[in-house]
Amino acid sequence: MKHVIVTGGSKGLGLAIVKYLLSENYTVSTCSRERNSAIDELLSQYSTFQWFQVEIGNAEQTAEFVRKACTWANEAKLWGVINNAGIAKEGILATFPNIETDSLLQINLHGAIYLAREALRIFLSQNSAGRIINISSIIGSRGYTGLAAYSASKAGLDGLTRALARENGRRNITVNSIAPGYLDTEMSSTLSDKKREQIIRRTPMHRLGHVDDITPLVGFLLSDGASFITGQTITIDGGITN
Amino acid sequence: MKNLKNLIIEKTRKIITEKGVDCPTITLNSEFLNDLPMDSLDLATLIVSLEISTGLDPFRDGFKTFHTVDELINLYTEANS
Repeated sequence: MKHVIVTGGSKGLGLAIVKYLLSENYTVSTCSRERNSAIDELLSQYSTFQWFQVEIGNAEQTAEFVRKACTWANEAKLWGVINNAGIAKEGILATFPNIETDSLLQINLHGAIYLAREALRIFLSQNSAGRIINISSIIGSRGYTGLAAYSASKAGLDGLTRALARENGRRNITVNSIAPGYLDTEMSSTLSDKKREQIIRRTPMHRLGHVDDITPLVGFLLSDGASFITGQTITIDGGITN
Repeated sequence: MKNLKNLIIEKTRKIITEKGVDCPTITLNSEFLNDLPMDSLDLATLIVSLEISTGLDPFRDGFKTFHTVDELINLYTEANS
């Protein structure tokens, strides 16, 4: 059994990734700020699943989370980490409070760096291959009005992906980003109807993305078939950035 | 001090031999990246491995420069004091 850690697995894309990986027979641990009914349900269904309460963006808590998760996973060696946890806060930068920028970058970017660091330390000490997948966004490369800090955090993730791919490739550790387009999740629920319609109109596939459009790529990037793919940001957006 | 020295040399030798290359004689003056067949990831592996074995992290408060086996032993000795 291979152990995969997914951050932010209690809802949205993170929850879908957790469910997908469990169905693919991975041992999965996840974390979030709060435990919810979806987590309770998975815990009752799968002995190969565990949840931990963690504030992503806190280095000490991240290290402790990884240590506890790997102890729990026991013989299932750590194979991959999915940096999925993230928040989006909207506002024109000129009036966007600096404290909001700080907290967003702490979670979206620092949190991912801390988790990648912990995973790499384990891969190196195990002398094993491994996979790191960063959940980015098309907004990281395209930008979006009102999402400057979020956009910067996702662009930062893509830079992290490229640097870590170069740094760790010789140990058969691959690092990739997945950049979803506009997904129909809780995070996009704040979009106005007009904005939703505009996005759908501009998307060649004429719909918002669904979490199930993303999870198979996570599965592929974790598979042996993806062992020569690294340093990439792979877009799944129905063609809107085409 | 003696234990730390032995531990560092033993782990360095293990990392080199696991790469499938011959390990040269490791002396206190051996420079990890110049005199031994090690790269930066091997050195990172050594540091992680030493932290797991000793619970010590001399780099917790920031970067500290070292090149030789002796300099690394001194860093761990200081961290242990």
